Formats: sequence, structure tokens, C-alpha cells
Amino acid sequence: MLPPAQLNTLHSLMDRIIPPDEDPGAWEAGVGDYLARQFNGDLREFVAVYRAGLEALEAEALARTQTSFTALPADAQDALLRQIEAGAVVHAWPLDPAQFFQDVVQHVSEGFYADPGNGGNRDRAAWQMIGFVPGGPGGSPA
Amino acid sequence: MTHYDAIVIGAGAGGGITAGVLAEAGKRVLLLERGPHMAPEVAPYDHLRNQRFARYGHNAGPALEGNPRVAVDLNGEAHVVRPFEGSYQNNAAVVGGGTRVYGGMAWRFLPLDFRMASTYGVPAGSSLADWPIGYDDLAPYYERAEWEVGVAGDSAGAARQWPRRKGYPLPPLPISPQGAALRAGAKTLGWDAFGIPALLNTAPYGGRAACIQCQYCIGVPCPVDAKNGTHNTLIGRALATGRCDLLTECVVERITTDAAGRVTGVSYFDRAGQPQSATADVVVCSAGAIETARLLLSSASERHPHGLGNAHDQVGRHLQGHYYPMAVGLMTDPVYNGLGPGMSTVTVRFNHGNVGVVGGGMMTDDILELPIRFWQHYLPPDLPRWGAENKRFMRENYRRVMRVTSPVQEIPNPEARVTLDPQVRDRWGRPVARLSGGAHPETLRTAAFMLERETEWLQAAGAVRVWGKRPGMKLSAGQHQAGTCRMGDDPAASVTDAWGRVHGHDNLLVADGSLHVTNGGFNPVLTIMALAFRVAGHAAQTW
Repeated sequence: MLPPAQLNTLHSLMDRIIPPDEDPGAWEAGVGDYLARQFNGDLREFVAVYRAGLEALEAEALARTQTSFTALPADAQDALLRQIEAGAVVHAWPLDPAQFFQDVVQHVSEGFYADPGNGGNRDRAAWQMIGFVPGGPGGSPA
Repeated sequence: MTHYDAIVIGAGAGGGITAGVLAEAGKRVLLLERGPHMAPEVAPYDHLRNQRFARYGHNAGPALEGNPRVAVDLNGEAHVVRPFEGSYQNNAAVVGGGTRVYGGMAWRFLPLDFRMASTYGVPAGSSLADWPIGYDDLAPYYERAEWEVGVAGDSAGAARQWPRRKGYPLPPLPISPQGAALRAGAKTLGWDAFGIPALLNTAPYGGRAACIQCQYCIGVPCPVDAKNGTHNTLIGRALATGRCDLLTECVVERITTDAAGRVTGVSYFDRAGQPQSATADVVVCSAGAIETARLLLSSASERHPHGLGNAHDQVGRHLQGHYYPMAVGLMTDPVYNGLGPGMSTVTVRFNHGNVGVVGGGMMTDDILELPIRFWQHYLPPDLPRWGAENKRFMRENYRRVMRVTSPVQEIPNPEARVTLDPQVRDRWGRPVARLSGGAHPETLRTAAFMLERETEWLQAAGAVRVWGKRPGMKLSAGQHQAGTCRMGDDPAASVTDAWGRVHGHDNLLVADGSLHVTNGGFNPVLTIMALAFRVAGHAAQTW
């Protein structure tokens, strides 16, 4: 649904929202798959938003640092995202930057923490991390 | 056209009980439900589309398209809303209604809950009133609901708070770690805490299995059918008599009346969308507080130009639900043990007798929360919503956080109401419900008071940090919707009499939360069930 360059930007972006550490980050936990699925479902109308938002994010990074967002160190990515979260942008965004970022945070967290049946949370990575064990003592409903 | 003794509109908590009681009394009953059967195999495991967390729709209807409502916000601006949006104030539309997907807390109201106006006076701008019946009138029917639908409870604990003839038929829920901590906290505070009663099989009952503690407890159908609703009790009993026809996916257009204004039956659309009609000696509205009011209003005729039972402009007013202040506490040790439902402990110490506020509410721990809903609603307000810190908090504290919440008894007001929208129609061409108004300011004051008590309890239970937000002004109805066809002795200030008969009609009844004059400081479903036993039993005996 997204061109490869934007998919890379999305990968970097979601791994700042839920970064890899001793547990998988968003990308490794399948949030990309969650979004791919939702872009054909409930988030169909967001495909255009992601295209525009990811392009603007990349332009914002270039305008501020002359470096692609994906090539920035994590600290610099976080600092940039905090600016965008606050709506303090230098590039002319075609959409509300703060709203875009808030939406992505929401969607990425859904993909990470919801049931694997929705396409993300691969191998229950998020649930293993937090200790959520569904099914009770006797069984294991999906 | 088929003639029935009774047509019951809505197969939820009230309608399911009503159909069972009438059919077993020998009446021929048509039970009409706008939703479908929710098959037991419907997977409850979709964390993003269920009645508890309806992020992208829900699992128990009504369908997202073709069923709009109009919600008027506090600035007076009207919005067309879909069923999964909060301001829609949805309740489930399936056989069993909300009982199919509820958490199933099974409370009796307290004796004082039936005498709110006498106890507190009537705050300015409110329509606070006493019920025309008291606790003692309803007690035998509470008992029927507890035994015939099936309630697990702490019989000794409940006997300390309510006059009761019998205990509960099922043993209490297991005491969860959060419940144990809260009981210890209550002891240090000198508060009486005891076990939460719930419509849940803690042991095999009613021919069905016991709970397996899988944590799929609320907003979803129980995977092992251990949750007791009307779909697996009274509706089954009604059908077993051979005298009840249950028609699903049938939407009532209007209650029909003859030239003299007497109720004759209903017109409805069947599942193919074809117009149909049926006649009956008696019609019972059990469609929930919003849809019952909508139906009475949209059944206007020459003799009843403002709708049925609405000669005094009472139908649809006094809409209420529950304000739910919630305090969240961070504990040193894990309080999550992976065993559902997780709720176990209550105090009713602050339902009444609180200095400076009107009423109050019970306080309980809560059902274990699925991870995404936990992330959405229960993180500390100063925690970043993303990044390493957010992830770390989830990892370290999902199992250390517990919640105390309280359904605050609302102070009703006539401006919180259901009317018919003059423009918007649903897919059958019926005018949709228009919801407007807001809560009474006294409700907000009581909610703020209860948030302080919740905080106090969590701190006494060992919470090292507590957070929670005072609820702001809003219209409140939702799954606990009530009050729109209140019972009363004065036809000018109520819609039905003390037996649920609509004033001015000898054969039109209401049996759902619409009847509640006030909604208690408790989840209302057991009261809806008890009233339905009483209304239907009386009707069966008197015709």
C-alpha cells in the first residue's frame, strides 16, 4: 500500500513509538503486518493520510537536519518526533502534524497490544512482555 | 395475521424474563428481537471490536450502517453518530441483549435507593423522585432473578447489607489478589468489604458448565457459556413451552392502536425487510431505555398525537446511566494472576450517608483488563504516550496496577432526554433517537466525592501511586441506560404505574430499565430482571 521508501520511514517511525529493547519493538512484533491488514480494512481511509504524513515527516527531517529520518540516530528521531507531536514543524505539512503523529501512536499501539488475530503482536510478543496470559489455568482460548 | 396473547418487543434482560414468565403462565407470546442470535462459537477474542472496546466496531450489534442516532453535544450541536461511537449510548442488539456480553454484576438496589427524594430532598433542576414501590416489594423478585438466572455471591456478606430471605445459589467468586489487598485495606479503614455477586457459574448450574477463568469476561460472549443471561435461561424456558415464537432480526416500526386509541399489536419489518404486522391482547416494551422511548414516541396516532403514554411529555425524559469515576493504583507487587474475571470485592459503605453530597455508589475492584484497553485508558496522565518510557511502564506495571471504580447514582433531570430526530431516518425509514442534555451538577459532585473514596481505598490497600480523573459534564446513558418511562403514581409526572402499565392504557406495558425512577449506585441489570418478573407476573395474573 506504501512505496518502499515510505515503508522504511514507517518502520523507523514505529520503532521509536515502541522501540526494540530486551523485548521486540513494534516492527519485529508485526505491527507492519497489522497496518497492512488494516489499510485494507478499518483504516482504509488512512492510507492517503499515511502517504502524506510519511512524506512530510521525511521532508521535515531533511529540512531540519539534511538527513533522512531513517538515517538519524534514535535520540535525534525522538527529538524530532517530540517537535511534531507538539505541532512545532518547519516544513509546510499538508495535514495537522500533531494529529497525524497521535493517530500513528494509536494505530501502532493497537497492533502491538491487541490480539494476534488482528495481524500484529506476533507470537504474543507484547503479551509475553507484560505478562498477560489469557485462557485461565485449564486452557488457552486464542 | 397471527394473534398472540402478548407481544414482547426486545429479547434482552427485561424482555427475556417477560417472555419466559408469560409463556410459562400459559400465554401465547411473540418475542421480537431486532438483532440476531449470537452463536456461541462467535470468537470473543477480537480485542479491537467488542462491546467493551469498540475501537473499530463491535460484536453484538446493531450493525454499524443503517442504525444512526443523533447526539446533541453540550453546545447544542447535533451529530449523526454510529453505534460504536460513545455518544451513541449503545447497548447490545442480540438475543439476550446486554446480558449476552455483560460483566454480570448482580446487585439489588438498597432500600434507600427507592426513596431518594424523601431521603435527600429534590435538588434544584432535578427530577429526583421516590419509586412508587419499595425494596420489600421487589425483594421476592430479586430472589427469583438470583435463583432462576443464576447468581454467585457472598451470602453472608450480602446479608449484612440487605434484608434477604435466602442466600445465593452459587458460591462466591474467588478472591483475586487485588481483592485481597482491598479487603486488607478496608479492614484498616474500618469499612465492611465483601464479595461481588455476579451472574456467573462459579460451579455448574442450570445445565451449564463452570467458569474457566479465561479472562474473556466482559464485552464478549463467554467462551464456555458460564455467564448467565436471559439467552441461556428464561428465553430457553419460554421456547420450551411451545407457546413462544422468537423472531430475530425483526424491527418494530410502531405499536398499532385502534380508532379508540387502544393498543392492538405491532407493525414490524422482518429480516427480509418486508413489512409485517401482528396483533395481541397485550404489548410489552422491553427495548431498552432509549429504544422503548423512541418506539412510544414514534407510535403517535390521532388519539395520541404526542406518542403513546406521552400526554404529559414524560416519555424519553430523565435519561440516566452511571457516572463511573475510576481511581487507578500502582502496587509494589503484582496483583494480576491471570485468572478471570478478577473482580471480587465491594464496599457499599458510601452508597448513602455521605455528608455534603446526594447519594453515592458502591465501590469495587474491576474485571481484569485486556492489554490494549489498559494502554488506552489506565496509564498515568504524565506518562508519555509513546517511546521507551511508555513501553517500560507497560512491561513493569501491567500486572501491578489495579483499579477501583464506582457507578455513581445519578440525580436525574428532565432535560437529559430521548426525542425523535426530525430529519434522520434509519434504514427502515424510521425516525431515529435524538439524545440531548447532560447530567445534573449534583451527579458530578457525587462522582468527585467517590473518586476521593476510591483513592483512599487504594492507598489503604498499599498503592504507592494513585491517579484518576474527575468525570466532566456529559450525557450519561450507555449500557446502564434507564429512566425514560419512569414508574409513578401520578400520571402527570410518570409514564407507567407501579406495575409497569403505561398510564391511560390497560394493555401496554414496559419492562426494562426505562421504568427506573432512579438507577441506584449499582449496575442495574438485576433490578431490570426483578422488575420484569414482577411486571410480567402481575400481568399474567390479571388478564
